[in-house]
Amino acid sequence: MSTTVTEIVAPARPGTLKILLREPAAAVSLTLVVLVILAALLAPWLAPYDPFDTDLMAVMQPPDGKYLLGTDGQGRDMLSRMLFGLRVTLAMGALSLGIGGVIGVAMGFAAAYYRRIDGLLMRLADIMLSFPAILFGLAIAAIFGPGVTAVVIALAVATVPLMARIARSTALVVLGQDYIEAARAQGMGDARLIWRHLMPNCASPILVFATLRFGQVILLGSALSFLGLGAQPPIAELGAMAAQGRTFLFFAPHISVIPAVGIFVVVLAFNVLGDALRDALDPRLRI
Amino acid sequence: MTTLLEVENLTKHYPVKKGVVLARQVGTVRAVDGVSFRIERGETLAIVGESGCGKSTTARLVLRLIEPTGGTVRFDGQEISGAALRTLRRRVQVVFQDPYASLNPRLRVGDTIAEPMEVHGIGTRESRAARVKELLGLVGLAPFHAQRYPHEFSGGQRQRIGIARALAVQPELIICDEPVSALDVSIQAQVVNLLKDLQRRFGLSYLFIAHDLAVVHHMADRVAVMYLGQIVETAPKRAIFDRPMHPYTRALLSAIPHPDPRRRGMVKPLGGDVPSPMNPPSGCRFHTRCPFVQDRCKAEMPMLRELAPGQQVACHFAEVLPPHEAVAENGMSPVAAQRLALYAAAKARKAAKAA
Repeated sequence: MSTTVTEIVAPARPGTLKILLREPAAAVSLTLVVLVILAALLAPWLAPYDPFDTDLMAVMQPPDGKYLLGTDGQGRDMLSRMLFGLRVTLAMGALSLGIGGVIGVAMGFAAAYYRRIDGLLMRLADIMLSFPAILFGLAIAAIFGPGVTAVVIALAVATVPLMARIARSTALVVLGQDYIEAARAQGMGDARLIWRHLMPNCASPILVFATLRFGQVILLGSALSFLGLGAQPPIAELGAMAAQGRTFLFFAPHISVIPAVGIFVVVLAFNVLGDALRDALDPRLRI
Repeated sequence: MTTLLEVENLTKHYPVKKGVVLARQVGTVRAVDGVSFRIERGETLAIVGESGCGKSTTARLVLRLIEPTGGTVRFDGQEISGAALRTLRRRVQVVFQDPYASLNPRLRVGDTIAEPMEVHGIGTRESRAARVKELLGLVGLAPFHAQRYPHEFSGGQRQRIGIARALAVQPELIICDEPVSALDVSIQAQVVNLLKDLQRRFGLSYLFIAHDLAVVHHMADRVAVMYLGQIVETAPKRAIFDRPMHPYTRALLSAIPHPDPRRRGMVKPLGGDVPSPMNPPSGCRFHTRCPFVQDRCKAEMPMLRELAPGQQVACHFAEVLPPHEAVAENGMSPVAAQRLALYAAAKARKAAKAA
């Protein structure tokens, strides 16, 4: 044995979840996000009525004992429609974020790793960034016809350049680290280097951005549905529900207000969670 | 001794471009400009020089982390290219300066050390795990450390992990890019002694990049002094410290702080800054700062000439310069002397323990 262990070992740092829960706003938003996701997943079991069943004897009922959140213009139970609408809204957001995220991250990593195509890929991202998401939605709905698919494609396309930029800049920082040079000096192949050394170290900023972007995507998706480009009747979707209720806004405001509040709460929860996650994943907080 | 690494006329030029769309080259940074040296088996060659002189670039060129503009690197008689690069990647390993940046924070220490073996397809999962434990022992860590993450270790411990990773595939040459510059002095002694120990046990050769002359004095067999991308003097360690011939080597040695107040004012430090490697001075690159500069120095670039056994100097007037006052042992700064004493004490302790 050459030398003995004399140096002091640093204590283990607190986990990300623990740091996250230190902040009350973060704890509340995390709880809300979990509840919202659970509510969407368990909608068929939680909903008191079928979301498409109409009760023509109870049209536009304000919230009461029988219909907890009232009924809409066709006498459908608002609570059931909210639960099922949440499903569509969240699925739309998750799908578009997933597709756009995977493509965007791949594009960003490719630009950072293979510097020869960096200029090409980033100018492509610039072009994509110069169109507003709503415009994409209009264009794609015009091509494929309005529907959930059109919204998912439009939002995915709008997410790609943003993700590509975040992934590229994060990857450039990581690629400058000595452990990447060490990996290269060992003769490691590109695939292994990207998978084992680049990706894990880029995960935090991308995760934070994805959380924040999820809120934005839901808002945009609801906006597109509100404009009639997304979910088509009779599908329940929060944005579409808010749109359907707007003609009755003066005498039955709950039909529009309840889905609108739903969108607001979901988006706010994801935004607060994203901010808190950014703070919690900051390595400087790990003492 | 046989030659393990032979570097000839190694050159790295970086083009400096201007313009966004139609970039045109407006200049060249000569980071490394015609560097030649050789390392024998079991030998330590130290490259010293100020920051920006191209020492680290030279290390990365030898490792083929960057492509040279010109020149050849021969490892064990074979020129490095294509298929030979794969062998080089196993037989030459690297230890970096910054122990915080050189370990992947998301990998357990055991995985970091096992990775080079995986990359080169050495052993099975079990045999690699056993080897990781053995390596941790070799560098003075405990087997259970394999399960931990890098952030749970101190700088010195991390550098040991980096050394274990380098040793994993039984290399013959380890390139140490300022391996102790980022460490506390007491830890430096431990790491330097560890490197020397390992060299003795496994017959390793080192290419040791450093700017700290006390560490070089302790580690090196031979020393090459670099200035602005070129080697200005190379000699066995004793010769460099006792009879430096190049004015720049002398200036480096006199820049070591001196404990004797009576000598104050007798040593003139070098004036000016290192010129830009983008427009290196004509003739001898050191002529802008050399106290002995002559007209010839400005016009004609001096070649390395062998002026004593094993000592090569790139200076037109090396023979006629006034003799250099030996600043070796007693000329060391108190701090450096203290550190050497620390190294020696640590060695003595170890010897006592072994006995």
